[in-house]
Amino acid sequence: MRQMIIDELTQAMQELTRGFAHILPRIIVLVIIAFAGWVVAYLLKMFLRSILRLIKFDKLSENAGASQLLTKAALPSATELLSRFAFWVAWLGFILLGVSVLGILALQDEIARFFLFLPRLFVALFILFFGLLAASFFSRAALLAAVNANLPSARLLSVSIRTIIIVFVLSMVFEELGIAEQTVLVAFGTAFGAVMLGLAIAFGTGGKDLAQQFLEKRFAFGKKDEGKEDELSPL
Amino acid sequence: MAEVKLAEESVLTDDLLRQLIDVGEVDILVGVPTHNNAKTIGPIVETIQAGILKFFPRERAAIINADGGSRDGTSKLIASAAIHDARPNSKLYALRTFHSISTQYANSPARGTALRTIMASAELLRAKACAVISPESAQITTDWFATLLRPVYTEEFDLVLPTYSRHRFDGILLTNLLYPMARALYGLKIREPYALDFAFSGRLGSQFLAQNAWHDEMAQAGSETQLTLAAIAGEYRICQSFLGTKEHVERHSTDLVPAMRQTVGALFSSLEPNFSSWSARTGSQPIPTTGAEREFTPEPLRVNRKRLREMFSKGVAELESVFQSILSPSTLAELQRIARTEDVPFRYSAELWAKTAYEFAAAYHQSVISRDHIIQALAPLFRGRAFTFLTENINGSDADVENNIESLCLEFERTKPYLLEIWKQ
Amino acid sequence: MPLKQDVPWYKRAIIYQAHVRTFYDSNGDGIGDFQGLDQKLDYLQELAIDTIWLMPFFPSPLRDDGYDISDYYSVHSSYGTLEDFRTFLKSAHARQIRVIIELVANHTSDQHPWFQQSRSSRENPLRDWYVWSDTDTGYPEARINFVDSELSNWAWDPISKSYYWHRFFSHQPDLNYDNPAVREEMWNVMKFWLEIGVDGFRLDAVPYLVEREGTTCENLPETHAILKELRRRLDEQFPGKMLLAEANQWPADLRPYFADGNEFHMAFHFPLMPRMFMGVKLEDRKPITEILQQTPEIPPSCQWCLFLRNHDELTLEMLTNVERDYMNDTYAQDKEMRLNLGIRRRLAPLLDNDRRRIELMHGMLMSLPGTPSIYYGDEIGMGDNTKLGDRNGVRTPMQWSGGWNGGFSAAEAEKLYAPLIQDPVYGYPTVNVVSQKKTEHSLLNWMGRIIAVRKTTNVFGSGSIEFLYPANHRILAYVRQLENETILVVNNLSNTAQAVELDLRRYKGNILIEMFGKNIFPRVGDLPYLLTLGPYQFYWFRLRRI
Repeated sequence: MRQMIIDELTQAMQELTRGFAHILPRIIVLVIIAFAGWVVAYLLKMFLRSILRLIKFDKLSENAGASQLLTKAALPSATELLSRFAFWVAWLGFILLGVSVLGILALQDEIARFFLFLPRLFVALFILFFGLLAASFFSRAALLAAVNANLPSARLLSVSIRTIIIVFVLSMVFEELGIAEQTVLVAFGTAFGAVMLGLAIAFGTGGKDLAQQFLEKRFAFGKKDEGKEDELSPL
Repeated sequence: MAEVKLAEESVLTDDLLRQLIDVGEVDILVGVPTHNNAKTIGPIVETIQAGILKFFPRERAAIINADGGSRDGTSKLIASAAIHDARPNSKLYALRTFHSISTQYANSPARGTALRTIMASAELLRAKACAVISPESAQITTDWFATLLRPVYTEEFDLVLPTYSRHRFDGILLTNLLYPMARALYGLKIREPYALDFAFSGRLGSQFLAQNAWHDEMAQAGSETQLTLAAIAGEYRICQSFLGTKEHVERHSTDLVPAMRQTVGALFSSLEPNFSSWSARTGSQPIPTTGAEREFTPEPLRVNRKRLREMFSKGVAELESVFQSILSPSTLAELQRIARTEDVPFRYSAELWAKTAYEFAAAYHQSVISRDHIIQALAPLFRGRAFTFLTENINGSDADVENNIESLCLEFERTKPYLLEIWKQ
Repeated sequence: MPLKQDVPWYKRAIIYQAHVRTFYDSNGDGIGDFQGLDQKLDYLQELAIDTIWLMPFFPSPLRDDGYDISDYYSVHSSYGTLEDFRTFLKSAHARQIRVIIELVANHTSDQHPWFQQSRSSRENPLRDWYVWSDTDTGYPEARINFVDSELSNWAWDPISKSYYWHRFFSHQPDLNYDNPAVREEMWNVMKFWLEIGVDGFRLDAVPYLVEREGTTCENLPETHAILKELRRRLDEQFPGKMLLAEANQWPADLRPYFADGNEFHMAFHFPLMPRMFMGVKLEDRKPITEILQQTPEIPPSCQWCLFLRNHDELTLEMLTNVERDYMNDTYAQDKEMRLNLGIRRRLAPLLDNDRRRIELMHGMLMSLPGTPSIYYGDEIGMGDNTKLGDRNGVRTPMQWSGGWNGGFSAAEAEKLYAPLIQDPVYGYPTVNVVSQKKTEHSLLNWMGRIIAVRKTTNVFGSGSIEFLYPANHRILAYVRQLENETILVVNNLSNTAQAVELDLRRYKGNILIEMFGKNIFPRVGDLPYLLTLGPYQFYWFRLRRI
């Protein structure tokens, strides 16, 4: 009886050891890959940081209005953020690569999906970044044009344009990431449609006097005393 | 290292080249950039020919029209004005053949390209003197060709800029921004750094062509200003000639921004490449001026100051976020203060205006935001300054106005070190 | 190639203008004579000259180089006798060279017996042979021709105490052509010389024959009537003879001298000549084409006489003030060169002795529509002497050799009628016939070649002309055509190499054959024909379709 138990234990121990020995090389490989990955990711971070500094990425993100957002969220500068992000993604990628070496089937799929997800993540980030940039640029352009054309409520116009573009960009990002695609689409469509409908109704009925004034001002310069042009030419 | 120009980048089409071969060497070239000017261009071309034949009867001369895709027959009109033995019934008597050629440089007007075409032609034709005449100069007389061209052709000047008598409130952008700033920075008292009718020497034209000033979008639009500034920076001989009264052209206030792009934009863009030239100058020198100033009683102009005031106040209020990137906090605070002033009129002082202008120039140089937006942002502030200028001068004499402009210029000169301070931030 | 016989001889002639006095002195008295001229006919024949135009050689006090005549029926003793002249004429004809002489019809010398009689008293039968008046206020609109020497067209005669009319020097009183006796006498003069055998007359100063109050006294209808009458009689009694008009007028005013082919056969194209010089200086063909555009059509039997220079000053009368100033400033900066309304210089000095320019001008002379006239000495590029008064600077002795007196005369140098040109550039040791004959590419030999080429065709003398107007205004290009012969002439008027594209679509399919070297040039296709020319170069192309 005791002998049986000892035998079983020994056998179990041997199996365990065997299994362990079987898997040990792979773990060593994993560790090596992880280490190598850390080095590569670190180099990548340094490299990316210097490139971004070179192209004055911070300036660009300031233009995009992203910097303001970051500071508000107590995050480091855009260059730093992107570099670190790149570091973590790269290292994570290497680690997962190592894990896949382990040969644990269940994890393989997940790992594969992770790698498939990465490009889309980058695209989404890309869209977000440039979308913010565009929003900032166009809203400022609208603001300046409206101010110089003496349109009333220029700021309102500018903010509306910024909002619309940001909403549009966000919905694109979500779609790209595959997060609540349908919901976002529908929500966006509804909101946009509602706004438009509301504006139309407002103009058509309640605001028709304002609309009239607005249109007259816009398209019939020089007729009313209030908005009379002077005859000066700047040059 | 100079860039190699590819054939596709040439402004000279094969057709134009062929025409230039036929014209051959000339002594004087007159360039006319056009776009749909058929209604006004006929008499102008006649005056050009009569003027050249009157003052330079023995010289070889030609007219070149750089057209930006007119559809109303402008090019044909000009080409048919040639005095050529194949068309023997010219109204004007000429000792020699007087060519008049036309070329289309693009499908839509771009003044920079038009000027470049004219300059390239002047260089290939080895013209000693070249005049550029705007197709809108309805008040042109034959005397212009003596006043503009003689200094270049016989007196070895390189650039002749016009001066005009005009209503004291016409051209406020010039008198309150371009003139004082260009004068303070470049050290020369040039009244009209942005000229539509001017003359230049072959030397200056070739030099200007060789510069890579054509790539900057802003510069393309303001090539005349660039030319003036290049002449100053290159220490060329510049003079001014009186051309008569400036006919008032109806413009909307919405024309301010395009005008600013061409002039102020060009001025700001020129600062970076010419830094070594303007940073060292102090004070300002007068330049030779010829032609008698004529007595001029201008027609009264309608002036809507209230509108200017409104647009200024509104601008300051609504563009705060933009100004925060451009102006220093003290300047911005000061502007906001005067914008809020209840009593009309407020005073946009010369000191504040000079500081504003310089801060904008520095912001432009550093590209804190898109450069075009910087120019646009300056417009409402300019309106404020225009308001003050109008208010201060509406009742004074012409001499008083001149004095005020002079003191504004001196203020710009005094404040110039400030620009140098903030330039590199 | 045999020349067509139905083309009148004066339409295919090459005229050589010479003065017997300047050409060759055979008897050592320092003055050229007819025997000398006779001896030099071989030279002219070698040059392929077929017509000599002799300047006045009648007896004369020589106060206007022979244009002041004192006897219409004889030869001045310095030049020989009437018999000498006959001999010379025979020799010329034997060499197929025709001879045209001057007929100074408008006026005589005041030494002429006619005038001596006319002025002697108011009752003299010859009184009416000249134009007399008690006042000098008549015909005020008439211009003064010799502005540098005369103040009025009227001169005071102390003998008959009245004024007489003179359009030239005051010692050259005008004959009165309203008097039928005068007209008859002039016809007799012509008849006399025609019977001796001369082939035609150059009528000097024809616009001025008749005066009428209230006119400029030039080109009057009465003048034309008289000339037509002379022509009628000429054709009747002496067919095949030629009348050449000297009338310095605008083309429109020249046209009446041809009438309907029943007045003059030929007339000098005065307005064209200064414009050729102007075109070369301006480097612009405009003056040349414009004057030819304004030149009216003339009857088919008539002909223009073209020339570059002659014994007179290069007249700038037929130019606008602007053009005249330009010519004076560019061709005669030295005011001493200017005379009356012209420039008194020879061809070579005017063209800076530039061989290429001289060739170009002769190229145009020989290819524009008309009969060319060459002034003696210009074929070797003789120079001038502006120190000699009036127009004598261009009438110096012909330079035959580098030896004694330039081979002109055996006399002492002081005895010569005028000094030879002696400067290092144009002097007779440098510029003379003998040395140029020895050099293959001398101007003289080149002239011989171009005359020979011209004579291979009648197109130049008789054909039509159509100008091409290439956009390059420095190129003068035209097409000459006669029946089925077509010749393209292209001249580069500028000092620099030029490219030109010619519109030759009408002549598509033709091969161009260059007439001097006879080499073929590319065939005319659809595209504009590109030619490149060196400074002052010209091409003559025969167009041939094979």
